[in-house]
Amino acid sequence: MILLGVLVAFGGFVLQTSMGGVNRKIIARLQKRYGPKWYQEFLDIFKLLSKRATSHGWIFDFGVIMALGGIIATAMFMPVSNNIIAFPGYDNFFIFVYLIAVGMLGMAMSASGSGNPLASIGVMRALTTMLAYEVPFMVIVLTIIKLSKSSSLSAIALSQQAGGDFNWFIIALPLGGVVAFISLLGMLGKKPFETYIAPAELASGPMVEYGGKQLGMLFIMHEITVFIEVALFVHLFLGGAENLLIFLVKYFLVYAIANLVSNVFGRFKIDQVVVFFYKWILPLAIIQAVIALYLGWVI
Amino acid sequence: MNNIELIILVVLSLGILAYVLGKFNAKLGTVVTILGSFFVLITLGYYGFVMDPQGLDMTSNLFPSITYGFTYLGLFFGVIVAFTFSMVSFFNPFFVDKYKFSAAYSMLYLFSLAGTVGVFFTNDLRFLFFFFELVVWTSLFLIPMGDSKKAASWYYGFSALGSFSLLFAVLLIFKATGNFNVASIGTVDQYNVAIFFLLIIAAFAKLGAFPLHIWLPKVLTNSPDPITALFSGGLEKLGAFVAVLGLVKLAPVGTMISLNGYINMTTASYFIAILGSMTIVFGTLMAIRQDDAKTLLAYSSMSNGGYILVALAMMNSTALAGGLYHVIAHALASTGAFLAIAAVKHYTGTTKMKELGGMIHKMPITYLVYLIAIISMAGIPPMGGFISKWLIFQSVIDKGLIFVAIATFFGSIGSFLYVFRPLAALFLGQELPQHREKTKEAPILMLIPMLIITVLNIYTGVIPNFILGKINLVISELGLSPLELGVTDIVGLNGTLNPALISGMFGIGVAIAFVIFILLKKSKKVGLMDTYTAGNFVYTEALLHYSLDFYAPLERLYEKQINIMSNFYNSVANKVREFGAFMKYFFFSNKPEITVFFIMTIVIFLLWGDVL
Repeated sequence: MILLGVLVAFGGFVLQTSMGGVNRKIIARLQKRYGPKWYQEFLDIFKLLSKRATSHGWIFDFGVIMALGGIIATAMFMPVSNNIIAFPGYDNFFIFVYLIAVGMLGMAMSASGSGNPLASIGVMRALTTMLAYEVPFMVIVLTIIKLSKSSSLSAIALSQQAGGDFNWFIIALPLGGVVAFISLLGMLGKKPFETYIAPAELASGPMVEYGGKQLGMLFIMHEITVFIEVALFVHLFLGGAENLLIFLVKYFLVYAIANLVSNVFGRFKIDQVVVFFYKWILPLAIIQAVIALYLGWVI
Repeated sequence: MNNIELIILVVLSLGILAYVLGKFNAKLGTVVTILGSFFVLITLGYYGFVMDPQGLDMTSNLFPSITYGFTYLGLFFGVIVAFTFSMVSFFNPFFVDKYKFSAAYSMLYLFSLAGTVGVFFTNDLRFLFFFFELVVWTSLFLIPMGDSKKAASWYYGFSALGSFSLLFAVLLIFKATGNFNVASIGTVDQYNVAIFFLLIIAAFAKLGAFPLHIWLPKVLTNSPDPITALFSGGLEKLGAFVAVLGLVKLAPVGTMISLNGYINMTTASYFIAILGSMTIVFGTLMAIRQDDAKTLLAYSSMSNGGYILVALAMMNSTALAGGLYHVIAHALASTGAFLAIAAVKHYTGTTKMKELGGMIHKMPITYLVYLIAIISMAGIPPMGGFISKWLIFQSVIDKGLIFVAIATFFGSIGSFLYVFRPLAALFLGQELPQHREKTKEAPILMLIPMLIITVLNIYTGVIPNFILGKINLVISELGLSPLELGVTDIVGLNGTLNPALISGMFGIGVAIAFVIFILLKKSKKVGLMDTYTAGNFVYTEALLHYSLDFYAPLERLYEKQINIMSNFYNSVANKVREFGAFMKYFFFSNKPEITVFFIMTIVIFLLWGDVL
């Protein structure tokens, strides 16, 4: 059980790191470049892990450990396919939203502990972005939980599979699918919403002071976080996966499309992110929830 | 010593003893407060929970007219509040010297403890009101010992509204049922709507919920630091107790709303849930933009009070369990956070975040206490706040309350923002030179309560089932089916939670990360000023410390709207003042024109009466 969970976390890391490399290649081809090798991100991480770095005090290190630990713990609960799940019945949706926050808090704490104002500004922007994308997403998830009568991810996936492949919630709740996809871009820190990384503006925001093993561990943490968020989308909206292969295909499609979409956008300012989500996305989410629950119109 | 009347009398007489001893030596008086509050905590805890539920003797021998009755609800709240009182009392010796009436401080502290015990254990509504007033009046004189006397007048204004509502509710209950028994609230069959709203006004005024929230941040910012913690963790919970009386014990008021099988609440309960949601949203938005750590935590108390109201309004066993668990989780979290801030203030003399920074280097244990408290306050596992928020979300989703859900989600994510602010600005960041010399780790007497609270914060998050079992007794007493509990599982309405499993996996995750960290090359330690500055040479710590207006871009989006409620109350106060001046002019002045006016009026009336 626990071993399977650790394996899921490790597998998620390997999967997402390769996917990240493949997608860098795809984007490069889009921009008429060759792009790096698909395993370039592995090389980057291992190089960082092997280097000697500087530390700004115990909280700087402790935060990194807490961040990676929290994310590994979250990934351990993630179902991959119908059969590959470490803790059946305990894959509650709220665990993913809130346990992931432990990791985020650890990273934010460590970044602020470095004493660099750019890191604090980056954390501020990351939390503000979170306030923007999380609420519409949760409203749609409320609708999904209510319709499938369970908050367990694997049960939600099974309830979609039960009615054939076109019972997926991205089809049943089209507006909700749009809301969740845009929220996913926010979660992943993809381009219209990558305000908190903003390399040219904030020198990579929270990451500004890191190097060596701390940066390497945060890269690992980031890859696993992306794995959790994309897998969450696959299970909530695309009917989960009957086996590993289907999961990989769906995962690749979601991540690649998110990448392609994000590459045609510029970057919002932070207040524009908040206004965008509360002016356009949240009303969409409310309309979807009202027509699906109170009026009972589900495709 | 298991007689409740005796406990109250002992605490009252200890209060007088504290005053007498405090006259000789202020610190001696505060030692009595520690002893007194621990006496209450141990007796209530021991006789109430550990021995058997009926272990407490409820007979009243000395004052037979004041009767007491045992309820699990009262015991539950009593233990929580007594716990808060006893934890906070450790801080009294360090702060009491600063206050003008230090002997009275200790006395009032114990008197308000006696009052709260009375509120939770009396079964007579008249004496419930009496004890409620005892708490209001004792705390009223504790507040102005801090920074501002104006805060006390705000508190008085709103408490008076709450007290009068409670009094009218008591009288109406008497009119409807013919007796003053607390249990008779359940049998009220007329004036339901009036009684409901009067009890709700009393609860809102005490809990600091929208629209009666203005006093809460003012009082919590300006009262003495231990009293702030006491208000947030203990005294505010009296409001939750009254809310249970109004929302759960009283028969439901209003027609049932049902939309396609969802909502299923009465209009009155739905209205309270919406007000609770507004409390959450306004509390969160205001907390985000505060610069004073105490004010920030005060608004977070308001927001968490909203969660309790939403939970109680939903009236099913999951929601009720969530609400009652949130009372415990928030009492622990906010007491811990306020005490940590008080410990910082003890050395630095300020709670303004722009004047503080890098406290972690001198006060690492205080920092950890604060960290764990805010993890619980933000509802992140593996702390207690997650369990209660999970239970509340379960019922919000189960009832399909979309608009309430938006507020609860917003408050939950918003709490990440505001709790992180003191963490980043006050404890982390650059170590500012002005506090470097005089700051050191809090003394052992302060660390004891903070560490106890920290352990309990973790305990409530990892193994909640013992406390949930006790809450089940309360829920059964209120006439609902108890929550389904396994050995470590909690069965909600649409899923099962295993907090011990989550915490265990978190431990494993951290262990893996730690092993990776240890195995790799050791880092070189550098100072905090040795950072990337984009080519500038910066030698002043304050220039590298980002703390003022932390969320400025977000705050700008709603800065025009923040004063609406306080402007409203200020204009109400102006109107009251004008009315008072008008009455004074007509009835309490000896100006000649008024005398002439009255003589004329009387003459006209006399003539009129003669003609007709």
